[in-house]
Amino acid sequence: MCLGIPGRILDIRDDFGLSMGTVDFGGVRRDVCLAYVADAVQPGDYVVVHVGFAISRVDEEEAKRTYDVLKEMSQLEELEWMSEVADKAIETGERAL
Amino acid sequence: MTTIASTGLVCPTPMTSSERIQLGHGSGGKLSAALVREHFLPHFGNEVLAQLGDAATLELPHGRIAVSTDTFVVSPLEFPGGNIGTLAVHGTVNDLAMMGAEPRYLTAGFVLEEGLSFDVLDRIIATMAQAARDADVLLVTGDTKVVERGRADGIYVNTTGIGMLDEVVRPGPHRARPGDAVLVSGQLGRHGMAVMAFREGLAFESAITSDTAALVPLVRLLKEVAGEELRVLRDPTRGGAASALNEIAQASKVGIALDERHLPVPTDVAAACEMLGLDPLYVANEGVLVAFVPAPLAERALAALRAHPLGAHAARIGEVVERHPGMVVLRTGIGGTRVVDMLPGDQLPRIC
Amino acid sequence: MRYLSEYRDPVVARGLVTSIQKTATRRWTMMEVCGGQTHTIVKQGLNELLSDQVEMIHGPGCPVCVTPLEQIDKALALASRPDIIFTSFGDMLRVPGSDCDLQAVRARGGQVRIVYSPLDALQLARANPDKEVVFFAVGFETTAPANAMAVHRAKQLGIRNFSVLVSHVTVPPAMRAILAAPDNRVQAFLAAGHVCTVMGWTEYEPIAAQYKVPIIVTGFEPVDILEGIALAVTQLEEGRHEVENQYVRAVTRQGTVPARSLVEQVFRLADRKWRGIGEIPMSGLVLRDEYAAWDAETKFGVGDMTTEESTECRAGDVLRGQLKPHQCPAFGGKCKPEHPLGAPMVSSEGACAAYYNYGRLRQSEVATR
Repeated sequence: MCLGIPGRILDIRDDFGLSMGTVDFGGVRRDVCLAYVADAVQPGDYVVVHVGFAISRVDEEEAKRTYDVLKEMSQLEELEWMSEVADKAIETGERAL
Repeated sequence: MTTIASTGLVCPTPMTSSERIQLGHGSGGKLSAALVREHFLPHFGNEVLAQLGDAATLELPHGRIAVSTDTFVVSPLEFPGGNIGTLAVHGTVNDLAMMGAEPRYLTAGFVLEEGLSFDVLDRIIATMAQAARDADVLLVTGDTKVVERGRADGIYVNTTGIGMLDEVVRPGPHRARPGDAVLVSGQLGRHGMAVMAFREGLAFESAITSDTAALVPLVRLLKEVAGEELRVLRDPTRGGAASALNEIAQASKVGIALDERHLPVPTDVAAACEMLGLDPLYVANEGVLVAFVPAPLAERALAALRAHPLGAHAARIGEVVERHPGMVVLRTGIGGTRVVDMLPGDQLPRIC
Repeated sequence: MRYLSEYRDPVVARGLVTSIQKTATRRWTMMEVCGGQTHTIVKQGLNELLSDQVEMIHGPGCPVCVTPLEQIDKALALASRPDIIFTSFGDMLRVPGSDCDLQAVRARGGQVRIVYSPLDALQLARANPDKEVVFFAVGFETTAPANAMAVHRAKQLGIRNFSVLVSHVTVPPAMRAILAAPDNRVQAFLAAGHVCTVMGWTEYEPIAAQYKVPIIVTGFEPVDILEGIALAVTQLEEGRHEVENQYVRAVTRQGTVPARSLVEQVFRLADRKWRGIGEIPMSGLVLRDEYAAWDAETKFGVGDMTTEESTECRAGDVLRGQLKPHQCPAFGGKCKPEHPLGAPMVSSEGACAAYYNYGRLRQSEVATR
């Protein structure tokens, strides 16, 4: 019930009272109904599209903020994991001597 | 006073020229002969075909031959990168090439729908003939039938091909062995998505073009590198790479382990698949082959492929393993595993 | 693709897996109620990566699985009529009804077409004024705004040869039904990110409070799901039970208000049968009287069809987490992806189909040791 993917609005037009736009998804373009987000978007914005309708605007600031936190956390995990592996290697190395 | 020019008056019957295919074009009479003479021969013409005998007589060198047949029903008839005619030539040429055979001759049978425009037909014939010339194959015999409006979706084409088997290099789906490298010669998913872009109800705009092409030059390069160690060749058409690899895994009774990080899928194909909920592994390709060679030969095979324009995006996508025989398993981008099964039928777009 | 590919970053994903492994002091059981999330979990093998920390139960989150049998049978009846062009999302084509499925009806001559959007179906009606076009309006709250707009537009523009066969369900009543069952094992939920994009998350707050379960509004990419699971595990370990939003880039507490308004204008709540589960009160959407002329059931007189569920298919028990697919007697024998008895074997991410593939993998791995 859920296949919604983010795309960038290229243009917005009125189709007999219905707000429609061309949305670009990584090089593929489709007409999307923007009626539900019309007040909140302009060309260049990203929207989540489900079955040809924009169901919300992507909050790019929130996305960046939370992703940066996540990325930092996982890099710390990566460093920790790497040092654990290194520690183990030294341990087993010493026993081999 | 009304004047009538006496020159230029022509009896309106019988109509001998038209813009569209009519039932009469398939009935074996004058219209049929005119169709062959004026539309097919000018493009396909060669001494064998020109004889217009009931059958073609061919001189074949000594040795074993390979024969393959395929019928093409694609809609729309014309799509970015090709049409039903070029597809029909490449498809059968490639089936022969996947046996390691050198394609030589083609036959072509056409079922034409009443009302098909000659503009479209001529375009398809012309490009089809060029595709045959580029692939070094001769169209030696053919047939045309016409069916009533509403049948045949415009055109259905069948091509049958004859090729000479190689004495030494005999790839086969049963020959994969644990340790073999699985190579793919180009990007995945282009043909299927190029055609899908025009499908009523699912249409979208993109720059995706079909990859339809004759793979003979790539096979020749692989033969040079691997010789009889060129164990398996397959062109992943309907059902995509997943179906082809499953068939090979089952025929050879081995497991195939793929790595998602190495699958060459173009961005726009990936995007179109995301939008419709499709998996590129199940999308048809018409200008790509998968090849299995012993691991030590993989690098040289890749280099050979990449040196050719058709193989520029060649990649090593996995290996043959002893575990899970008959199954294809994928290592995902984040390190999980997933079974890549055969689909029961067509892959369907989804919303869920 | 922007706002998609980053959420598949393996380093970030691994970081989250490690974080979950460190936080969990025991194994927790949680459920996702969204086919798209089930798809990612199965497709990315997330279940396997976290098997010691989390048991994921795949809930009734997909229209393929929960559309009641009689709605499928009504669809088949409509699609079989020569005067009707029956349009549907691709998901529904292979779902078995009492007798066959939409693909079989097409093979017998029915006009069945797949569309991407309900507006495409409306367009088809405009382009074929001498035919009747029926659209199978299936889905959760995510799809209701789209279907509502199609019906609303049809009324606005006076398009009378268009109608919808409605089979909408809503998530919160299903969650309540699962939590209220005496044998419930679910300790936390991942809430469907796109349902919440439309609806917001206010409806989940009373559920979290009443049943004391964390509910995390979660997206669909591997990083989203892992982060959702991480947040759930943290809450469970800390004894908290709140609604938390992981999918911040798309979801706000109020949701998309114009969408909710039109859905309320076009549809009203009604009791609805969920295939395999039974009737859940006020869990479905039906067209309001002002839109009755666009209701395919009344227009074509199929409203009275009722059917009995086959007892052989145990989909309901599977969807509520009471039965593992391989414990079903029909599993792998009478019921396989090529000839499914019920919906969870149809789609490749349905719980039964997923188990079918993994079962074969495990069996063969055991055999080759």
